Amino acid sequence: MTPLLSTHGLIAGYGDMRALHGIDLTVNSGETVALIGANGAGKSTLLRAIMGLLPVAPEMIRLDGQPVGGRAPHRMVREGLAIVPEGRRLFTGMSVEENLRVASEHAAKPVAEPWTLERVFALFPILREKARTPVENLSGGQQQMVSIGRGLLAQPRILLCDEISLGLAPKVVREIYAALPEITANGTALVLVEQDVGLAQRASHRLYCLLEGRVTLHGTSGEISRDAISAAYFGASHALD
Amino acid sequence: MHWIDGIVQGVLLGGLYAQYALGMALMFGVMKIVNVTHGDLVVLLALIGISLANVAGLGPWAVLATLVPIGAALGWLLQRALLNRVVGNDPLPSLIATFGLSIALQNAMLVIWSADTRSLSGGGIQQASISLGPIFVGVLPLIVLICATLLTGGLDLTMRRTRFGRSLRAASADVEAAAMVGVNPRNVYAAATAIAVGILGFAATFQAMRSTVAPADGPFQLIFAFEAVIIGGLGSIWGAFAGAMILGISQAIGFRISPGFGILAGHLVFLAVLAIRPQGIFQRRA
Amino acid sequence: MSKYRVARMTLSGRVALVLFTAALVGICAMPWWASQGLIRDVVTLACYIAVAQMWNMLAGYGGVVSVGQQAFVGVAAYAMFVLAQTFGVNPFLAVFLSLLAPAILAVPIYGLLHRLEGAYFAIGTWVVAEALRLVATNMPMLNGGAGMSLRVMTQFSAHERAVASSLLAAALLLVTLGGSYLLLRSRYGIALTAMRDNPVAAASQGVDVGRLRLLIFIATAVGTGFAGAVYFMAQLRITPPSAFDANWANLAIFIVMVGGIGSLEGVIIGAVIYFFADRWFGEYGASYLIVLGLLTLVCALYFRGGIWGLWSKWVEAPWFPTRRRLIRLDGDKA
Ligand SMILES: Nc1ncnc2c1ncn2[C@@H]1O[C@H](COP(=O)(O)OP(=O)(O)O)[C@@H](O)[C@H]1O
Ligand SMILES: [Mg+2]
Repeated sequence: MTPLLSTHGLIAGYGDMRALHGIDLTVNSGETVALIGANGAGKSTLLRAIMGLLPVAPEMIRLDGQPVGGRAPHRMVREGLAIVPEGRRLFTGMSVEENLRVASEHAAKPVAEPWTLERVFALFPILREKARTPVENLSGGQQQMVSIGRGLLAQPRILLCDEISLGLAPKVVREIYAALPEITANGTALVLVEQDVGLAQRASHRLYCLLEGRVTLHGTSGEISRDAISAAYFGASHALD
Repeated sequence: MHWIDGIVQGVLLGGLYAQYALGMALMFGVMKIVNVTHGDLVVLLALIGISLANVAGLGPWAVLATLVPIGAALGWLLQRALLNRVVGNDPLPSLIATFGLSIALQNAMLVIWSADTRSLSGGGIQQASISLGPIFVGVLPLIVLICATLLTGGLDLTMRRTRFGRSLRAASADVEAAAMVGVNPRNVYAAATAIAVGILGFAATFQAMRSTVAPADGPFQLIFAFEAVIIGGLGSIWGAFAGAMILGISQAIGFRISPGFGILAGHLVFLAVLAIRPQGIFQRRA
Repeated sequence: MSKYRVARMTLSGRVALVLFTAALVGICAMPWWASQGLIRDVVTLACYIAVAQMWNMLAGYGGVVSVGQQAFVGVAAYAMFVLAQTFGVNPFLAVFLSLLAPAILAVPIYGLLHRLEGAYFAIGTWVVAEALRLVATNMPMLNGGAGMSLRVMTQFSAHERAVASSLLAAALLLVTLGGSYLLLRSRYGIALTAMRDNPVAAASQGVDVGRLRLLIFIATAVGTGFAGAVYFMAQLRITPPSAFDANWANLAIFIVMVGGIGSLEGVIIGAVIYFFADRWFGEYGASYLIVLGLLTLVCALYFRGGIWGLWSKWVEAPWFPTRRRLIRLDGDKA
């Protein structure tokens, strides 16, 4: 079976600096894949490259087996990709509702059960109350909800989430993670970049660990041992300690 | 009375400046670039309009109806062919590229139309005036002011209420994030410049009817547009409108103090605003 | 293990230094070997080089883009005329005293305009130049729009004037080109180059970008004003439109963009091209300016390094080496 999304020897970087040295990754429909790794391992770079924000060769990224690497981000949205970017990146000066509407107005053709403003508000009820509030006046957790909602309204087949729990109170993190099953229910795949390894393991089917731009471990989340993770996370030399 | 008349005339003049300033505010708000040919495009459109009137016998309103789409097309082309290549964090490329184009454009107009000043006949409307109490107000300047108000209101509503306006504001807040939700920045930019130069179609027609145009006039119109935008506050549509009014009033009152002082008074008010309220008079955020 | 030393001087640099010195000496000696016409041309070329190099320092290194440098040309030139003609100061002394005017003016101008973002700063400088032109037009002391003549110069013989012009042209080149070179080689040069390449990174490395920009704005205002004073002393007449002529900005931008921004070599190449283009094609007026404008545009779009940038891709032989290089003492370049 062709995976929904796959990368093949993906190489990407910033100017002369290469941050990813050949990443092979697959994501299947309805699956949640976690991406872990230390700071600077290249997790964000990988998501950005997949989204079309960094130049890559066409064959390095395939959607339904078709090469799509190097397309502009707005065309990737049309192919069914969406991202909840690191740092949320909301449109300041615009209200919650306006932020969401920009996304829904430029969305891909929905596959089944399209996401609507109404559904996003049902998922995160606080956003309904704050619909007219400028996003810069929201709390961090509420901003993250807007950012997720914005990603969903792009009607993605794959949603890439970059550290959605970063800087949020545990209660808010639980609230956000509780919403994830609802997102994957209709077959949307999730790629979760997560600092909290335990959380990443619990929330995902499969898991990839990155170290210095390379995949050092991947497997079924429930079956990977703590030791294997820490070896892959810090590199072999540390695991000997 | 003298001074009230000055203010009224200044507001009317501000109507014309607002039509220069709107497009500049829009383009800077979205792309953070200044198109140095802004004023030259007013002159170019005006000269095209005058030639159309002479050759094809178009009346002033037909000229207006032709210049607005021509302006929009020119703006779209300018963005696609040139500005899309120079949008970015570094202000130098866009500035220098349009600066060079401005010199080329001014001299090309000089070759085609010569240095003569020209104007567009309005079929008698230029002489018409109505009295508001003791003050006489020209009908044409009044039309210009009404038009400017409608354009400002229309643009403001477009920005706030339409899909296009939202994508424009999203792109101006964070262009990469806008692209991530499916907005094509190049299209948004091209549309913004098309609108900006399309509005200059109004400015060109009215400028040519109210006074005269010559190929070397562009820099002045660029500067007036710029001053209005800064006085009003960066990126705000109604701010640009109000800035244009303040600039018009300053110039009209300066002119009444001494004819040589009119334009200078506008520059001084601009500098004073920079000194006292650099974020512009109508901008709340610092 | 090889030993290294840090070197900056290159063979091409030594040759250029000798040529530059010889040129300055030749310029100083012009009254004894050159015609009146040639002296006038050399003074004009020196002024172009100076104004362009000052813009280059500002935009190419300081990252401050101005399209209103004519403000400083006009202010210094007018100050010189007033000192010499109205107050009877010796004109040659007045040239130097007049440099106080652009220096003093640069401070409030920068103070006001630096509040504007990038491109808007540039247009702001244009407004200031326009405002100063209008002030000059309205000022009775400057004889308003009719302008002033430097009649005091008639007290000197033609030869004396030629000596003065030649010495001033040499001094102008020495100060603007030589001064820039020394500045770029000093510790400020490292900060300036860092700022040119990446202002944000430079700031995080402890470079006070704001202060450095102010200083460079003042310094280039003075250099530009110097060119203005020298140029209009040779002209003997000044009017507001000529003193505050936007063409000063046009030519500076053309010279730097075509020659190559961020290099001293580029300015010299660009200035020579502009000088001869103006001489040979100036009679075609508008069509010639269309070409100049389009060339500037093309350089901004496609050849950011200008002619010098293209040239140095092929040949690494800087005339004004400012970069430090490691030299292996057993001979190889590191
Ligand atoms: N905008 C950028 N410019 C240059 N280098 C960058 C940029 N963003 C990230 N990097 C570098 O790329 C590498 C990977 O970074 P990133 O993908 O952000 O890691 P992660 O998300 O895993 O923390 C790091 O070495 C980082 O310093
Ligand atoms: Mg990251």
